[in-house]
Amino acid sequence: MSDFLLELSKNPTTRKLIKTVGLPVPMPPVLRRAKGPMEDRPLHDHQVIYGATSGGAMASACALTLARAGADPWIVGEDALRLPFVEPGEAFGRPPRMLELTEIPDRLRANALLFDATGFEDPDALHSLYEFFHPLISRLDAGARVVVMGRPAEAAATPRAAAAQAALEGFVRSLAKEIGRKGSTAQLVTVAPQAEPRVEPVLRFLLSRRSAFISGQPLHVDAKVTWPQALPTVRPLDGKVALVTGAARGIGAATAELLAAEGAHVVCLDRPQDDALASQVAQRVGGSVLLADVSDPEAPATIVRELVERHGGVDIVVHNAGITRDKTLARMKPDKWDSTIDINLQAVVRITEALLAGPLRDGGRIVLLSSIAGIAGNMGQTNYAASKAGIVGYTRTLAETVAERGIAVNAIAPGFIETRLTAAIPVMIREVARRLSNLGQGGLPRDVGDAITFLSTPGAAAITGRTLRVCGGALVGA
Amino acid sequence: MSDRKRRAVVIEGVRTPFVKAFSELLKMDTIALGDAAVSALLERTEIPRAEIDGIVWGGVILPGLAPNVAREIVLDLRLPARVEGHTVTRACASGLQAITSAVHAIERGDADVMIAGGSDSTSNAEIKLPQKVVHALAPLAFGKATPLDMLGVLGQLVPLTEVLPKMPKIAERTTGQVMGEAAEDMARRNEISREAQDEFAVRSHHRAAAAITSGRLRKEVAPVHTPDGRIVTADTLVRADTSVEALARLRPVFAKDGTLTAGNSSPLTDGAAAVLLMSEDKARALGMTPKAAFRSFSYIGVDPADQLLMGPALAMPKALERAGMTLADADLVDMHEAFAAQVLSVLKMLGSDAFARARLGRERAVGEIDPARLNVHGGSVAIGHPFGATGARMVTTMANELVDADKETALLGICAAGGLGAGAVMERVT
Repeated sequence: MSDFLLELSKNPTTRKLIKTVGLPVPMPPVLRRAKGPMEDRPLHDHQVIYGATSGGAMASACALTLARAGADPWIVGEDALRLPFVEPGEAFGRPPRMLELTEIPDRLRANALLFDATGFEDPDALHSLYEFFHPLISRLDAGARVVVMGRPAEAAATPRAAAAQAALEGFVRSLAKEIGRKGSTAQLVTVAPQAEPRVEPVLRFLLSRRSAFISGQPLHVDAKVTWPQALPTVRPLDGKVALVTGAARGIGAATAELLAAEGAHVVCLDRPQDDALASQVAQRVGGSVLLADVSDPEAPATIVRELVERHGGVDIVVHNAGITRDKTLARMKPDKWDSTIDINLQAVVRITEALLAGPLRDGGRIVLLSSIAGIAGNMGQTNYAASKAGIVGYTRTLAETVAERGIAVNAIAPGFIETRLTAAIPVMIREVARRLSNLGQGGLPRDVGDAITFLSTPGAAAITGRTLRVCGGALVGA
Repeated sequence: MSDRKRRAVVIEGVRTPFVKAFSELLKMDTIALGDAAVSALLERTEIPRAEIDGIVWGGVILPGLAPNVAREIVLDLRLPARVEGHTVTRACASGLQAITSAVHAIERGDADVMIAGGSDSTSNAEIKLPQKVVHALAPLAFGKATPLDMLGVLGQLVPLTEVLPKMPKIAERTTGQVMGEAAEDMARRNEISREAQDEFAVRSHHRAAAAITSGRLRKEVAPVHTPDGRIVTADTLVRADTSVEALARLRPVFAKDGTLTAGNSSPLTDGAAAVLLMSEDKARALGMTPKAAFRSFSYIGVDPADQLLMGPALAMPKALERAGMTLADADLVDMHEAFAAQVLSVLKMLGSDAFARARLGRERAVGEIDPARLNVHGGSVAIGHPFGATGARMVTTMANELVDADKETALLGICAAGGLGAGAVMERVT
């Protein structure tokens, strides 16, 4: 299961040797991941370069976000751009500094580039993207973050504005491929009008190490879900109850640990035959075990009863349990089709409906597991891809119906993650799958867990009905 | 709430001269320095020894074999055996903590007369053996060691690099950052210039020098007789002749392109200070004249990885609030000067509306402090900073100043390692 190339890459001697000899081996970057629970200042002492064009709406939200998160802001552009950064800079000791792109200090290495393109109303404006990024892209530190903020192209007032806004996605996806070799990532955040202040928790996540395996993705921030009264930066899940299905191993177990580290009481659900493993996880995270087979028609009632009686309700639901039963459609037996659709999609629907009618509290969070196979399709996975694409649609529409209860519903589509599931893939195919991404490696279960944990926090009210890919920028279905 | 009748009052304070570490007071450890300060206090106040209930002592570098310095002072000075002694440690706020503890004990009625203060001898810091050596030596420390045990011990002590003792340094345990580096960081982040720091330092020196020349400081400094027969009578660190030009020539010590120098930072210092406190009733019964009392104390922590020494910017407003006052009501302000950059950073925060809104939840800034009211007789940059003694030095100076200058209130602020901040409001007792 271990990634041989990544191991070589981690060793400075072998890394240097392979580079010097000039072996045609793609050395994957060693990703810098977060350690421990969420911090008050996830960007402590990070050098963040901020640029914008006139008409941009994000400056004050960004200024506050960066100062609170502990970043040192550098401002590119007109002097007036500095103004929104002055007050937060004074309050948190992070004064803004102007940066001339013609005379960048030699020692400056940027941990992040942040560009506000919400003012783009004409393709003419795209030139400013080139002006900002061209000189700075070589100044990125390893494991840096690029975030471009724009408006949703669908909501553009004119065809010209739509062209300019839509261009951002192509730019970001391509830039992510260029900088992935150093473990850096680029994302696009589209912000609905009036939702600008909601970008703070999203930026805290995307600019931090917790988004290490997310690359080249668009995220949409809007104001559909009721905004929570408090946004604690540390232990954001204190006092919350979280249900994680399939928690005995892999992504589920990693997620249970991360949720618990943020203060949640985690109810670890898995099949009765995985009692030993599930109990171990529950014990490690100080949570509870709930043994049930999600495909059992009685399961929704059992889960509801357990959550109500033992925990008084639930705030966070992570539908992680899932199976693969791969065969080409021509050879597939009906039971393989049925069981896959049932466990991956129908059980999710049944349980969600039961929870919504009962124990799920207002202001809750639902996170569903989709897959890039569901987005791109995969040979031999008609059943699996159908179920996972179904999740994307379910997420989108369910979100609309529960938004007024303050509940956010989102899906995660993992790419190649180093788990029991992917360890079973034949060596050659596995090796190719790993490398075919911007970051040139597979992700770890905790990468998916980090994204799930973010989508479980109060601040995730900024995002709903969306599917976020945690795939390292996989080349399939991009 | 303390009832007005059981108010603890400051009668008198006295300290040893503050001298540069590894110089005149080299032969006196923190206990000996404490002995000197407390015996000078006993002499000056002529407090009947039988009246003393206890000593609370503050210290940062505590002697490993006798960490309860307070009790050692009681025993060294042959005070009545029933006089209790306990030692407190709160980094550079230890001296103020000792006074806080004594005030609380008196105001609760647990004691009538207390001596509180603190001392530190950087010159006598103990060098710690690595834990590996301690564990390896265990068989020799307990019971009779066989030759085989000894061989075993030797075997565990290789490689030698792992068992060499580590030099003590003033670094944060959690971040590893040396305090000067943290202050350097604060200077950069709060945009405090080298010139502003040097000017502040020069003012501190000039004010302390003037207080020495005028005899103002003499009443709170008592001469010390050292074991090698010398008599140290005066502070040695204050430089009357320093100037902004002279300080500008010094090189930064904590960062290559930094702004902190030996001239605008407080020096490593040996010294002790002690304060006599008692209940107001007791003072009247004993015929003693109280100088001051405390309206409030405030201690608060900040993340040491952020701005390590900004604590006073939070603690001082809290102390004012508890005393029912605003900054404008404080006639005098005394701040511990760990570094000129740290004081100037805190002043900037107190004067900032933005800081008040984001960090204190108030609409308006706490306020500007008129330099004429701030550290009127200089501060730690000039006088020196024996960690545990500074709080008691500040309380002594302010108690005297309230009386001499006929003022009503004084606000104190101290920053301390670990991201701690301390504040207190003193009032004159008439």
